[in-house]
This record gives sequence, structure tokens and C-alpha cells, in this order.
Amino acid sequence: MFEPDEELIGRVVRQLRRPVTVDAGLDARVMEQIARLPARRTGGLRATWRWIIRPRTIRLSPLGALAIAAVFVAVVLWRPDRPSSPAPASARAFGFVVVAPRAATVSLVGDFNDWDAARTPMQRTRKDESVWTTVIPLTPGRYRYAFLVDGVAWLADPAAPAARDDEFGAPSSVVTVGGS
Amino acid sequence: MGIDRVGTSDVEAVRRVLGGDTDAYATLVARYRDRLARYAVHMLGNREDAEEALQDAFVRAYRSLERCDDGARFGAWLYGILVNRCRTTGARAARRGRVFVRDEAALNGVAHPSAAEQTEGEDVVRWALARLTPEYREAFLLKHVEDLEYEEMAQLTGAGVSALKMRVKRAREQLQAILREAERV
Repeated sequence: MFEPDEELIGRVVRQLRRPVTVDAGLDARVMEQIARLPARRTGGLRATWRWIIRPRTIRLSPLGALAIAAVFVAVVLWRPDRPSSPAPASARAFGFVVVAPRAATVSLVGDFNDWDAARTPMQRTRKDESVWTTVIPLTPGRYRYAFLVDGVAWLADPAAPAARDDEFGAPSSVVTVGGS
Repeated sequence: MGIDRVGTSDVEAVRRVLGGDTDAYATLVARYRDRLARYAVHMLGNREDAEEALQDAFVRAYRSLERCDDGARFGAWLYGILVNRCRTTGARAARRGRVFVRDEAALNGVAHPSAAEQTEGEDVVRWALARLTPEYREAFLLKHVEDLEYEEMAQLTGAGVSALKMRVKRAREQLQAILREAERV
């Protein structure tokens, strides 16, 4: 005998609202992790990073036509002349570009940043505000990545090989960084 | 009910933390831990990943506390961080093949809960919830379990209200269909 739909959903909700217990040590782990953090920064490091990835340091001219032609997304990879000092010696700076005219925010997420949208926010270029860029150091290896637009829309890179394992429903691409 | 404004308590705790009193943050962690844990566990379907996401959200919130414009809204702001963290944790976990399976063939291979197993209602509900897409699951949990208003959900998720209403509607329909199917077995 089936329940009416509302009763069924009500039963589901009641069960899901029951308290969930987590490891009792979670609070302590949070506080321990916080205690190990360095003193609060005032943004100096962030400002330096933004200065490094300013559009003038990125050779975007070949992308002008691509920005016009692309519907949503394009990517280019290049090697800036300057090495990234905090990265391992084997790391190379790679630039990622996405065309997202209506986006308010765009983040680069991938295996290299633990798919964490907060770690690699992209910046609008000066020449074309629909173009977002960022540069990250990558050591040799194979990385899956995607662009996260406005925190909700996942975009793969049509100019790069698609990752097949997108079982979460989010398309992604693959970049392979070779050794020197 | 929505996202509770704890008011001066949160304001005071946030003010103290920003003033250098790190220990004051423990109050906020204890205050929001259980509710956020419930969301994370249901969203990720995996307690280990949920605790990882929860811990990371608390630490991330601490590091970014200057960006919390209104201490009285700390809870909602923290919630937004967790929602985002659950999305990326879920994506990463799925790529490891640990949690959510969207492949129908694989799903069909999963043992279907028998009538006897259905007496353990929570397991069936969790099983059904895990079959929703992440977007539907997120919308359903925020609306019906966390009891948020659509405007609050829109702020947290970045999705439009109409899209969220559609997701909740579809989630309800799919949950009903999944659970009805389970009842027939």
C-alpha cells in the first residue's frame, strides 16, 4: 500500500532531519589546524599573485580571434619567461583562458588544486572582459580540469581532450605536462 | 526557519576572532558543527568525506573571516562555504569512484533494498538520495531538510530561484519514483 506523495516526502524529510553525529574530535582538529596557521595576512601575497598574472604578462593576442569565435570556452597553454619561484624546479607556468562573457566569477578547478574553486580564481583581462585568465605552475603529469562559472556551471575546454571520467556530471578536460 | 541569525552571539564571536582571540572560534565551530555535518553527510553520502569537507569549511571560513561582512550572518556565510566545498569534494570523490554512481548499468548492479531492508528506512532514504544528481540532491536538502527559503538557496548556490524550484520539484518526483520502485521489490 503506497503512501500519498506528500506523506512519502514527509517521511523522507523527517529521516533526513535526524541529527547526524560526526567524529567528536572534529572540533579539536579544526582548532589545531587553525593554531598552526600563520598570522593573518593583509593581502600582500594575494596582491603579488595578482600582479604576476596581470594580463600584460600574458600573450593573449593569438586568442583575440578565438575569443570572438568561441561560444563559451577556449584555452591556450604557454610558457611565460619567468619561472614561478615557489613551485618545484620541474614546474612550468601554464596559462588557462576561458571566454565567459556573462560570468561574474570564474575559477579553474582540477587535480592540481584538489578541485577547490577557492584556490584558483581567474581574472578578467583588460582588453576583453569576457576573457578570463590565470596562470599556475604545473609539474610534469596528467591533470583533469574544468572551469567553474559563477560557482555552479562546469565548463570543459573544447580545445583540449575531454576527460572520460566525468561521472559526477561535470564535464572536464585533460592537460598533459611533459618533462623538460 | 531559514538560516538562523544567531545575532549578537555570532557578532561578538566573530569580532573577538578578528581581534586575535583564536579560541573564540571554537564557539562558532561548536554552534554550527552538527547542522552543517548533517548537510555534508547527506550531500556527500560518505561520512569520511563529509568530515573532511566540514573541517575544511571551518578552516577556510576562519582564514577568510575578514570577508564576512556581517557577523550576524556568519552562519549563512559559513553555509555557503560548505555548500561550495561539498560540490568540489563530491566531484573529486566521484572521480575517485567512491561515492556517487551515475551509470545506470552500475546502479542496476547495486543490490536493491529488499522489503526487509526497507524497515531500515534511513538506509533506503540515503540510497534513494544518492541516486539523485548532485544538483537535485543539493536543492532538495537545502529546501526540505535545511528549511531554507529559495532566496537564501539562490544566494548560497548561485542558481536562480526558478531553477532551484525546478530542481526541488524534480528531486521530489525522482525520490518518489525511486522509493516507489523500492517498495515494489
